Amino acid sequence: MPEPSEAREGRLRAWARDRLGWDELAHMAAKKRVPVHRYTLFYYLGGMALFLFLVQVATGILLLLYYRPSAAEAFESVQYVMADVPFGWLMRSIHSWGANLFVAVVFAHLISVFFLKAYRAPREVTWVTGAILLFLALGFGFSGYLLPWNTLAFFATKVGTDVPAQIPGIGHLLSRILRGGSDVTGATLSRFYGIHVAILPAITTLMLGAHLLLVQRHGMSVPRSVEGKTRRSIPFVPDFLMRDMVGWLAAVGILAALAAFFPWELGVKADPFASAPAGIRPEWYFLWMFQGLKYLPSKIFGIPGETLGVLFFGALGAALVAVPWLDRRGRRGIAVAAVAVLTAAAILTVLALLPVPGAEKP
Amino acid sequence: MRSRLVVLALLGLAAPCARAQAPAKPPAAINGCVDCHLALDDPRISPPAKLFADDVHAKAGFTCVFCHGGDARQEYQEDAHDPKKGFIGKPKPQQIPELCGKCHSDAALMKQYDPSQRVDQLTEYRTSGHGKALAKGDTTVAECASCHGAHGIQPVKDSRSPVSATKVAETCNHCHGNAALMAAHELPSDPYEKWSRSVHYRARVEKADLSAPTCNSCHGNHGAAPPQVGSVVNVCGTCHVTFADQFKLSPHWEPFKDMGLPGCVTCHENHEIVKPSEAFLAEGEQSKCSSCHEAGSAGARAAAEMRADLVGLDGEIRRAERLVDRAEEAGMEVSKVRFDLVAASNALTRARSEVHLFRPSAMHGAVAEGLAVARKAAAGGEARLKERDFRQRGLFVSLGLILLSIVALVVVIRERDRRSSPHPED
Amino acid sequence: MSSAVGSQSSGAATRRTWLSWLLGTSLGLTLFSFLYPVLKYLVPPESSEPSLSEFELDLKAADVAPASGRIVPVGGKPVLLLKNAAGELSALTATCTHLDCTVQYRADRSDIWCACHNGTYDLKGRNVSGPPPRPLTPLEVYVRGEKIVIKRA
Repeated sequence: MPEPSEAREGRLRAWARDRLGWDELAHMAAKKRVPVHRYTLFYYLGGMALFLFLVQVATGILLLLYYRPSAAEAFESVQYVMADVPFGWLMRSIHSWGANLFVAVVFAHLISVFFLKAYRAPREVTWVTGAILLFLALGFGFSGYLLPWNTLAFFATKVGTDVPAQIPGIGHLLSRILRGGSDVTGATLSRFYGIHVAILPAITTLMLGAHLLLVQRHGMSVPRSVEGKTRRSIPFVPDFLMRDMVGWLAAVGILAALAAFFPWELGVKADPFASAPAGIRPEWYFLWMFQGLKYLPSKIFGIPGETLGVLFFGALGAALVAVPWLDRRGRRGIAVAAVAVLTAAAILTVLALLPVPGAEKP
Repeated sequence: MRSRLVVLALLGLAAPCARAQAPAKPPAAINGCVDCHLALDDPRISPPAKLFADDVHAKAGFTCVFCHGGDARQEYQEDAHDPKKGFIGKPKPQQIPELCGKCHSDAALMKQYDPSQRVDQLTEYRTSGHGKALAKGDTTVAECASCHGAHGIQPVKDSRSPVSATKVAETCNHCHGNAALMAAHELPSDPYEKWSRSVHYRARVEKADLSAPTCNSCHGNHGAAPPQVGSVVNVCGTCHVTFADQFKLSPHWEPFKDMGLPGCVTCHENHEIVKPSEAFLAEGEQSKCSSCHEAGSAGARAAAEMRADLVGLDGEIRRAERLVDRAEEAGMEVSKVRFDLVAASNALTRARSEVHLFRPSAMHGAVAEGLAVARKAAAGGEARLKERDFRQRGLFVSLGLILLSIVALVVVIRERDRRSSPHPED
Repeated sequence: MSSAVGSQSSGAATRRTWLSWLLGTSLGLTLFSFLYPVLKYLVPPESSEPSLSEFELDLKAADVAPASGRIVPVGGKPVLLLKNAAGELSALTATCTHLDCTVQYRADRSDIWCACHNGTYDLKGRNVSGPPPRPLTPLEVYVRGEKIVIKRA
């Protein structure tokens, strides 16, 4: 900090320091350094995910001001935002596109952390909070999808809430709790709204807070292969932050361009009594599950195939959380398994996107 | 010999129907005809018995002897087929209408089985082209069994019946599409083929709209005959009421009657009724007016004026639609504008129907109204496109600023790097 | 970018100041370009209600004569608003179920008619004669204060 502070600035700082503990924070921030090596590029993904999350929060709060969470009014209120509210189209499209970008970046962050083995001791708990944050992000995506109450969202939610029903024992109860009843109705909308704007944000705040605190506590993890070779590091403030900002500005630019050239579709208001149009499918990040369940035979050893599928997904989720312990000895096995799972998920996603003969565009 | 058989046949006819006058209790299981005819596996003998099992008359309790006479309880053919018992064998074509009519023209009888069924089919048949020819001895024309079948008769509402709503045109076409047969009667053999190219066929067959006419809708069922020249307007007018009323008010009505022109069919054809277009009013190949109205005459000028009006309005509507479509593709909200366009399309439909008044001034009202609405809708579409342009301009401004910021950041980053390390490389 | 020998000359300082200014201004302008739409968004538009499942007509109940009917736009679709002799309001969708022409009220016959192919409906929207395969859909109408409100099905 080469510039000399003016006298007045000095008095302000002193006031803040005494009351807010400013200096300690500034000190911590100044100390934080980011190691520079071959894989430094991946360090940006976490910050990008955080930034996109904040974009979602901001646009989401703005949308809250006009959205009406009832089956009678939800669709019309979104239509109102798109057509009549100044820049409403911008906020809504950024929120919808941003959700997809956010989930994609969260996946990228997870995958890079995984393959760089940043979950090694002492960062196991950081990993666990991260895995939970991934599930929360998917929960945001799933609950938010229903809110415009159009045909696509309605039927995708119907299909999606059928999946937990497959869990043996508590499945039906779980599905009932999710749906607010035995079917997807206005009650489901109210519930998903509450989940999307209150429950998930509250849990996310806690998890995110924990995640960030732990990252601060342990500093940036350096992959084994470049450990020791790294001598250079740059200060987080302002150097790494400025590089972060380049990425953030680019992301905002992309979202604005998407909003202007590819506005998010409004669709047709949901009619619970109409039959489901062909080609219903969930958002891309759920497609691998959706498609995978389709390929399972109806019974395997007498157990319904779907139940086994759902239990398998549950096992995958548990394995994800347990990665730091599954990979105690840092062998290659876990990386191979992960590549296999990712490849399978990618293939399933592509298969799900292939045009269904005779289906209309959803 | 022949007259005796005829007398016997008539007596034979009386017998089964006399029995049929009694309250309908089917004479139980004795239908020996079927037993024998089924057992004899001859293609000339067994099919009727097989078909009859599914016949609506069988289900009502009528058996073979009710139409063919004879005795169902006999084991041997000579006894079962005894003309003294009224056996007439295979009825001749000329006998069939009266044979069926014995029961189906009897109101009291038919009320016991199907009260809402008409009982005037025989009367109608006698007025038809088929009936008149048959009466003169022409046995190649249709009688009851030709269309309804003989042994597996289904009610008309049953889709298996050859005269059900979806099948009747094909049934007519069996004969009326047969070139040799039609030539012998001096009739064209292409009505079905022509009808299959019409809008009525498309509506009926492709869109399953059974309100669209098929053969019997215009020609009648049992009294089938082409509508007379003077009655064409009335027949078309049963559905196309507005056009018929307008035509009767137009300057074409009296002259067409005087000239013996077939009303609507003069311009629209009878079977191959295609979707009309403004080309009908033009001077080219598809012109309907130029066959009577010479170029430059008052009639031709009126046609041209009407055509110009319609084409103009249609053009305005399409222009507005294109604008609105473009705005919608760009993501703009256009439902209010589209509603206005619907009103303009309605005005165009009205104007098109008012062509049948054959007076250009009559159309002006609808056309003017349509133009006003279409222009308003076009303005709405343009406004939304302008909004889209505003958004894109705003986007470029923001992107420009973002780019500027990124460039500034990169430069500052590089500057700091340069200062903090003596080497230019990372 | 060849390195000048790191001389803290006034030239370098001016360059740094200029760069900081550039960075600050561009970031500031960018931030403004984000805030401007947000601030405009917060101000509600003229039509302060979304067109809900309820649609308030620009029409006073008293302005509709008894034993009459008229077409009004409701959410972009034509609707037939009827008032019977007793003064009760009713509404039906006005799109003919045959081939989508807009129907009309016939006062002399107290029925609803489609001019396109002579389809007829009764005042409850039931298809009575002609081609229409299905009845018209009834909509709820009520009066709020003076204005007429139609509820979409």
